[in-house]
Amino acid sequence: MESEELFQYIASLEAAARPSEKPSDLPTIEVPPEHFLSLMQQLREDPRLYFNMLQVHTAVDWVKKGIFELLYQLYSTKDRQSLRVLVELPRENPVIASVCSIWRIAEWQEREVYDFFGVLYEGHPDLRRLFLEDDWKGFPMRKDYEDDFMLEPGQ
Amino acid sequence: MGLITEKLPKMMAGMPGSDIIFTRMDAVINWARANSLWPLTFGTSCCAIEMMMAPGASRHDLARFGAEVARPSPRQADMLILAGTIVKRMAPRLRTLYEQMPEPRYVIATGACTISGGPFIYHSYSTVRGADTIIPVDVYVPGCPPRPEGLLYGLLTLQKMIRSGETVREPGIRHKPVTSETPEGITIEDIKSEMLALLEKDAVVDVRKAAEQMERPTGI
Amino acid sequence: MNVHVSTLDEKTRSSLAIESHSETEEYFINMGPQHPSTHGVLRLILKLDGETVREVIPVLGYIHRSIEKISEYSTYRQIVHLTDRMDYLSAIMNNWAVARTVEKAAEIETNERIESIRTIVSELERIHSHQLGWGVLGMDMGAFTPFLYGFRDREMITDILEETIGARLTMNYIQPGGVMFDIHPDFVRKVKEYLAYFKPKLDEYEDLLSGNPILQQRLRNVGIMDAETALSMGATGPVLRASRVPYDLRKIEPYGMYGEVEFRVAIGTAGDCWDRYYVRIEEMRQSMRIIEQLIDNIPEGKFLLKKPAAKLTIPEGRHYSQIETARGVLGFYIVSEGKETPYRAYFRTPNFHNLWSLTAMAPGGRVGDLVAIISSLDLVIPDIDR
Ligand code: SF4
Repeated sequence: MESEELFQYIASLEAAARPSEKPSDLPTIEVPPEHFLSLMQQLREDPRLYFNMLQVHTAVDWVKKGIFELLYQLYSTKDRQSLRVLVELPRENPVIASVCSIWRIAEWQEREVYDFFGVLYEGHPDLRRLFLEDDWKGFPMRKDYEDDFMLEPGQ
Repeated sequence: MGLITEKLPKMMAGMPGSDIIFTRMDAVINWARANSLWPLTFGTSCCAIEMMMAPGASRHDLARFGAEVARPSPRQADMLILAGTIVKRMAPRLRTLYEQMPEPRYVIATGACTISGGPFIYHSYSTVRGADTIIPVDVYVPGCPPRPEGLLYGLLTLQKMIRSGETVREPGIRHKPVTSETPEGITIEDIKSEMLALLEKDAVVDVRKAAEQMERPTGI
Repeated sequence: MNVHVSTLDEKTRSSLAIESHSETEEYFINMGPQHPSTHGVLRLILKLDGETVREVIPVLGYIHRSIEKISEYSTYRQIVHLTDRMDYLSAIMNNWAVARTVEKAAEIETNERIESIRTIVSELERIHSHQLGWGVLGMDMGAFTPFLYGFRDREMITDILEETIGARLTMNYIQPGGVMFDIHPDFVRKVKEYLAYFKPKLDEYEDLLSGNPILQQRLRNVGIMDAETALSMGATGPVLRASRVPYDLRKIEPYGMYGEVEFRVAIGTAGDCWDRYYVRIEEMRQSMRIIEQLIDNIPEGKFLLKKPAAKLTIPEGRHYSQIETARGVLGFYIVSEGKETPYRAYFRTPNFHNLWSLTAMAPGGRVGDLVAIISSLDLVIPDIDR
């Protein structure tokens, strides 16, 4: 599918999803967090789209704008089509629905994002830190993370 | 070993001529220790491949130096070859492994990571900057990763150290000969000129120019 | 909204509390982080019932070096050298992932010579990575000889690469806009000699290990994963292909010279350990085929089109591209603000995603099977933890 066609088709499924204007090298849509889970479900299940791989899930901390930008990159082995879904969350109290029940790999990817950014996933069966110890203070990939341990060159 | 290294010396301490016996015994024991170092397999990352290369591959046969019996259990190992980055989460485990090893125990740190943190020294919130902040290290082998030959050289250095070092009467206490400081009487200038002479002998490149450039690195 | 964050302690405790129908008592056993058959510092907590595995809880982070955080402070050329240290057995291919993303984003041109060299060295590295995987699998299954054989032949590839690149493991070879050094004058001859040497050796590998009934017993019908699960689990590379999904980026979105050479994508049928083992053997054959087609006609030209000292920036936006390493898809995602350093760099690493499928395969099997499954996944732990 061409990206225009794809966007139109997705908009017919879920009205809240709109093509993103952010500079990006793949077809990208944006969706508000309220409609996120139902959209993802349809993207997976819809016979015309059938995105059966969740290839990338990560987050970006836009500290000046006060948001976390979550990225979900989907791929369909049927059509060899990629789609990027962006969701914006406020930096205070970032909570979003978990997609573990749709793609099983999400369980780890979400734990990684929690570990690095502190984004909370509702409905995650086992949300805990992935790489760091359970009692680690703070979320290291946030831009305002501070740690006495980190060293600057020349220090 | 405990009988010979601990009980016997106490029993014989007052006897005339015991010193001579001990000196001879020291030599024998140290020789035996130096030539049967059993390493503990402790590889965390990239350096581990080169470490596996040394005892595993047929080319760099570590068995020549009596150190090929890699043990997965620390209780049967004499020597810990640290290969790979140590991170904060691993540090307590490394400490435990070290403590579980029986005396006398030796540690070889291979690679930039275990020496100083290597490529991950700056801006890292989890990499430990040098294994010697956690456990004592006897020999450092630089490189990223060091070649198997480098590891072999490190092993030989350790053997030399053991042969000349420990005594029967003081188990566990040993010299720390390998430090980053230059030995007394030798300056950096000496080393430089020696290197230069070496290079001049068997290199075709313009060494003088290269040496000059080395002093003032151009910011590529 | 209230989201509960648990701890490892809680997880193990609640996992024990689940009602089970077995008559014996279930218990936990800890495997790793210092364990000879986890290939590094992987730690698994196994819930066992007798010898049957009920649940596997992987615990990661014993080699988490914060590469992504360091990347945020590094220029793109510096990031290349960090990728060497993730999956060190596919170091060149990892470099390529960064180079490809940067080239696509900054519109840097390359020529055919560069692409040919990149393809050849990558395939050489794929062979040596699979050789090591083959040897280590043999050793895990109780045969020491494959380990020696695999390392012997791998060492020769390392020598060939060292002549050109100057490093044995952490190559740092493929750069945005070219490769670091031109190939050594002897390179073509030596690669050809090596292929002539290794072809019969690969048959010997098969004689030695593949036909061995013990190995077959231990690998066949162990750790079965169907295609649907594998896709949902995010597995890629030989692990996914063994489950009958012909997903290989070299074919699907050809990069380098892969569009111009002939090769087949090896796929398995059952998705068990044996298939994963055999897919790798077949991939070595195909890699040799690719090299054979390219080695004789490496075009003339420059090997580095962009000076290493030149400033390198990427236009603002989100950039992603991926390549097929020896273990699966390595993706590199950059969020750029138009500066010399990325605003955010994310690596989608193959092993991280492949390991997760272990939790689907292992339950129900024996502890011995678990070792076979881990071996057949061919994990490199620093690639998981980054
Ligand atoms: S010193 Fe280099 S090769 Fe060794 S573990 Fe560190 S990064 Fe890897």
